[in-house]
Order: sequence, then C-alpha cells, then structure tokens
Amino acid sequence: MVGLSIGEKHFIEGGIAQNLRTDGRKRLVYRPIQIETGVIPQANGSARVRMGGTEVIASVKAELGRPSSLQPDKGKVFINVDCSPTAAPIFEGRGGEELSSELSGALQICLLGGKSGAGAGIDLSSLSIVGGKICWDLYIDGLVVSADGNLLDALGAAIKAALSNTAIPKVNVAAGASSDEQPEVDISDEEFLQFDTSAVPVIITLTKVGREYIVDATPEEESHMDSAISISVNRQRNLCGLTKRGSAGLDPSVILDMVSVGKHVSEELMNKLDSEIAAAEAREEE
Amino acid sequence: MEFVSPEGLRLDGRRPMEMRQLRAEIGIVSKADGSASFEMGNTKVIAAVYGPREVQNRSQQLNDQALVRCEYTMANFSTGDRRRKPKGDRRSTEISLVIRQTMEACIMTHLMPRSQIDIFVQVLQADGGTRSACINAATLALADAGIPMSDIVTSCSAGYLNSTPLLDLNYVEDSAGGPDVTVGILPRSTKVTLLQMDSKLPMDIFENVMQLATEGCKAVANYVHEVLLEKTKQLDKHRGV
Amino acid sequence: MAGKDNATPSTYSPSPKILKKKRAPVFTDVDWVRPDGRGFHQCRPAYLRTGAVNSASGSAYIEIGNTKVIVSVFGPRESKKAMMYSDIGRLNCNVSYTTFATPTRGQVSDCKEISARLHKALEGAIILDTFPKTTVDVFALVLESGGSDLPVVISCASLALADAGIMLYDLISSVSVSCLGKNIVIDPVSEEESYQEGGLMITSMASRNEITQLAITGEWSTPKLNEAMEVCLAACFKLGEAMRACLKESASASQE
Repeated sequence: MVGLSIGEKHFIEGGIAQNLRTDGRKRLVYRPIQIETGVIPQANGSARVRMGGTEVIASVKAELGRPSSLQPDKGKVFINVDCSPTAAPIFEGRGGEELSSELSGALQICLLGGKSGAGAGIDLSSLSIVGGKICWDLYIDGLVVSADGNLLDALGAAIKAALSNTAIPKVNVAAGASSDEQPEVDISDEEFLQFDTSAVPVIITLTKVGREYIVDATPEEESHMDSAISISVNRQRNLCGLTKRGSAGLDPSVILDMVSVGKHVSEELMNKLDSEIAAAEAREEE
Repeated sequence: MEFVSPEGLRLDGRRPMEMRQLRAEIGIVSKADGSASFEMGNTKVIAAVYGPREVQNRSQQLNDQALVRCEYTMANFSTGDRRRKPKGDRRSTEISLVIRQTMEACIMTHLMPRSQIDIFVQVLQADGGTRSACINAATLALADAGIPMSDIVTSCSAGYLNSTPLLDLNYVEDSAGGPDVTVGILPRSTKVTLLQMDSKLPMDIFENVMQLATEGCKAVANYVHEVLLEKTKQLDKHRGV
Repeated sequence: MAGKDNATPSTYSPSPKILKKKRAPVFTDVDWVRPDGRGFHQCRPAYLRTGAVNSASGSAYIEIGNTKVIVSVFGPRESKKAMMYSDIGRLNCNVSYTTFATPTRGQVSDCKEISARLHKALEGAIILDTFPKTTVDVFALVLESGGSDLPVVISCASLALADAGIMLYDLISSVSVSCLGKNIVIDPVSEEESYQEGGLMITSMASRNEITQLAITGEWSTPKLNEAMEVCLAACFKLGEAMRACLKESASASQE
C-alpha cells in the first residue's frame, strides 16, 4: 500500500475529476502496452506483458491428464498466480500469498466461466483427446515480476497472449484398445496444434475514484479507490465474468453503468492487444 | 553417457572450455531501487534490490553495519516439469544463504549502519548454474542500486565429466552426478569469496577445474563491467552531458 | 407394502433407487421443472433463528432448503499481540464444512477462498472504526451443503453480527442466481449449480440500495444481466425483510 498524504489525495482526485491524471493520461486511457511472446522456451506458450511499470509473465504448460467424471469430454484448466518478491519487498516469504490467491480467484472467475465450463473463454472441449479417458490439462502460471498497479488486467492480457502463443502437440491415439483400458497415446514431436484464442476475453478493471471511473490505475490511484470492478468481456461484447473489489458498497445502477463503460473500453483494448500479439508473434518468427 | 564427443564437442555443441552466451539487462523492475536480469544460455534470473532502508524488524538491527537479506525463489514454470514448489524449501533456503554471504563479502556494510538491504532473486528459467547466474544478477542489481561495494563479485561453475574439465555446466551435465565446482571471485584482487563442490575429485584435477571456473568468473566480470559501463554511458547521455 | 412403489419406505428398508445417479437433467428444454419443483423465480423456504450458540457473543442459524449454516461471532476482543496497532477494528472470517456436508464424505471445498469472499462481503457493512485495536471473529460452519452455500453463509453471518450487537451500516443479504439454458433460476440447488452456464451472486445492503459484493461467472448479455440483477435484488430485499423480522422477534422475546 502506498502511503499518501491528504494533500496528495486531493491532488489525485482533483485531477481525475478534470480528466487529467498525474501521468498526463485521460480517465479511460491505458498506459502503453508491450507484449513479448515465447519468453519461456520450456513452456508450450508464454508471454511477457509490460504495462507502464507493471511487468508480468504468463506461461502455459499442457500435460496429459484424466478428465473429471462430471465432464468426461472436456479438458481441465488450472490458473495460478505468484507474486515474486522482486516486485515488492512485502511479497517476501508468505507475504504475497494473499494477493496471489485473490488474483488467481479473480482470473478464474473471469476466464473459466461457470462450473459446467460453459461461457469459458477457453474452449475446454478442444482439450479432450479420448472422451472420459485422456485430456489435456492446461496449467496457466502467472508471475508478477514488477508491480506498478493494475496487475489483474496485465495478467489477463499476458494469459491471452500466452494462449495465442501456445502450441499443443498433436496426439495420435493407438486404435483398437478395448474400452475399459487406458488407451496408448503417442505425442507427436513435430506436429503442433494452434490454440483457438478468439473467444478469450480481455479483463478491464474500472476503479471508482470520487464520482468518476478510471482504467489502468497506478498504485497511488489504487490506494485511493473506494471500490473497483473487474469485468471480462469477449469479442461479442458479452460479459464473461465480474468481480468486485474494495469494501465500499455501490448502487446497482452505478455497477451497470460501470459495466457499460467497461464494455466500451474493452473493444479498444481488445484490438490493441490483438495487434500487439500479432506483432510479437511476427517478431518471434524472425 | 557420453558428455564430450570424440570431436571434443559437448551436448549443446560447445567446446569444453566455452561458456554459454551471456546477456544482461539493468533496470528492469521499475519500482525497485536496483534491478537486473542475467542470462547464461537458457538459465535466466532476475534480481531486485531494495534499500538501504529502515530495518523492518527492529530486533535484527545491527548498530555497526547494514543488515543484508536475500530471498531466492523459483517460478513454477522455471523447470521442465511443472511442479508446485513450496516456498522456503531446503534448497532455496540454502541458496539464499549462499548468495547472502557472497554479497555481504563485497558490500561495504559498515558505511550503512542501522539499515537494511534486501536482495530478491527470481529464477525464470533453470538450466544449470542458477547459483552463479543469481550471484551475477545480484551484483548488477546492487551496482544499479548504487550500493557501495569494494568490488563486483562474479561467479561461474565448472565440472569434470568424461575426464575433461567443462566450463559452465548446463542442466543435463549438472545432473550427471559428476563433480560441480561453483566459484565466486572478486576479480580485481582475484580473491575467492565462494567455493562449493559436490562429489569428489583428486586434488590435482580439482586445481585444474577450479582454475577453469576462475577463468570463467573473470570472463563474466569483463562482461559485467561492459554492461555497467554501457549503462553509465546511457545515464550520461540522458543527462545531456 | 413392500411391493408398492409409492409407499413410504419403512424404517429399515432404504430404497436403492434414490441412491442411483440420475441421468443428467436436460436444462435446455423449454419446459423443464426444477428438481424440487419450484418456479424459476421462487426461492426455497427459509428458516432463520438467532442465538444458536450460547458461548458466542452472537450467533445465527439459517436453513434455506437443504442448505444449513450456523455462524457464531466472537468479539470484539483484543487483537493478537503480534498484530500491529490499528485504529480500526479487524474482521476475521473462517468458513468450514462438516465432513458430512456433502454427498461424498469430506469432499474438501476451497474453504480458504470462501472465507476470503465472506470477508470481502462483510467488511463493507461493518462500521470498523467503532472498535479500534480489536478483532471480531466470524466462524461459519456449513452443516449441510445444498447449493447456494456462500450466499447463505453471508446472510447468516450478517444476522449473527447483528445479534452480537456489532455496529453495521445495514443488514446484508445475499442471493445467487444460475443461468441454465435460456432461463434464469434463483437460489439454485447443488445440482443446478453444477450444470449452470453462468452464475451471479449479489450481496446487498437492501435499505441503503448498495451492493457490497458482486461476482459473475459465465457469459452474459446486457439484457440478461439486467434481468438477473433485478431478480436478485428483489430477492435480497425480501430476505433482508425476513432477517429483520427475525431479529425483532428475538429482541422482543428477550425483553419479556
């Protein structure tokens, strides 16, 4: 938490009310976003995202596993976030666990959809190999290397980029295995399947300061918030998940207003991310 | 297993006395007082330094010198097989201690009494020699933070496989079970501040291997100097001098 | 008697038919009925009671359908010595499940996560500056999990806090809805929850018309979201009324 004096608080709030923030941005403008893909060669897909001073790395690893009995024709996805002590000394030892679990919980809500897996940004049925027997388990790991506000949006963007970068090996199932045995599989070293990420939503956190909402808040602005909501929006402009942060209550109409503002911002962010990801992929191929 | 081919090439195509590609970058964590990333081939680590600042836990305060603390963490995705690593396991505690002692030896702690310096190292990719990479990254981060040091510490490892001394072991060579000598030196005085070895070696061969590792440290030191000089030139340019 | 299908089973003859796993219900049909025969916008019957645990400063028991929750509140009492000085009070929440709460024994739900969400839902309603340097402990125990556990735990905790005399801005009540096919069903049971395509949970302070916690999963379009929030808020308001009535009743009973 950033300690701010009353004067500083007034300055920040006044700036936001006049649509000019301390770093010169307007209320609904993001800091420049830089994306780099393929930063972790051992992983199936990875990306590094820089948003101002915030830097996060996301990696995707695919392992063969058994589908759960409730959804035999779907794969599983696990999301886990760690806060490195390099980002802030308070994350030392077990200090980062609280924030880590809050972030992973929010990402799960925003990306994985309902309990049945419907509405998820990641198409779980594409991870199935043999129904009820074998599926891919995707392990998505986020690491916060440098924290300078708005971690959730950066992690969401990094996961989106890492998933577009993900190549899952093609699996050949040996034919003729009887139905109750575990079938033999052969993982191809050469053929890879690209992962479809068109449905992966983007995450936008709107922080309410005074009467206004801002995106991509800096730590100073975050420490000043009454409440914030994080929404994830997909290409169809449908809401895929929402979590509220901060303890103060909000009027229902304010929430709906925030959601509509968020949806409006999402389109711009989605396009920006897509072009950045494409550029990063092109750079990597060179 | 054959680690050195008859043509004298190692598994990754290096010569026995060849080091992996080094790459370093300074100032990658904006909020930290000093930070650096250091790559040795596929091994990649980040170090961040916070301090000198007020001691957080008063009972640890030292009245005649600075308190140096260090924490080593590995990312979940840093190794080939994904595993949830509990924080503070024995290996990372040991490496934290090794890094702390090595860095303490070169920091002029007596200049900053009643203060604390935190060094955090984060392994992004582990492919052998993480210990050395961490020390090299920590050196750069400390220099970036402007913390007074008597010299920069650099570190490198060497091993002995197939009756050949090998410089800078990668993961496959490291896990072969042969001797692994990690050396850290203060390059100006060529004093040894860190020396660790697993397994066993005859005395005369040990001298050779250690000599090789020391040469490696000197090569790293040259590179570190270059990087620091480059950074300083950049700072100079930004000032408009 | 034993041969008849519709006869009530006698004490020692468990009917094996009920234990068998039912076929996955098709919720996408237009005219399906809910497993317990309720209407889509009809909540389960609720039973509320305060003062369930004598040793606690305040406690409450809520039974909504098959979901049974007991919450006890301790404090405000002195914070642990190791804690730093704080000029506002602290809230400590812990949710646990009994081993027999779920159909399969000891099926560990993520208690830590639920506890964190309970904490987030409650902290906005409590006037923490009225008890500096002290801690209020909220312990919730889910006796039986029958769906919509978290909303029931939150409502029950607010009732228990009120019973303990902790200063609150307002009573908070919480209700969730599930989205199944084209329909929005309120107060889902476990079975519906496991097949849901989307879920929405609202925690609100009804008389202040404020939402303290909101979590949405799954894909939602704007009209659907509006409808779901409306349904949820109306139910929150009703539940809040019931909670208020329960408190009044217990207060008048203690006066007599």
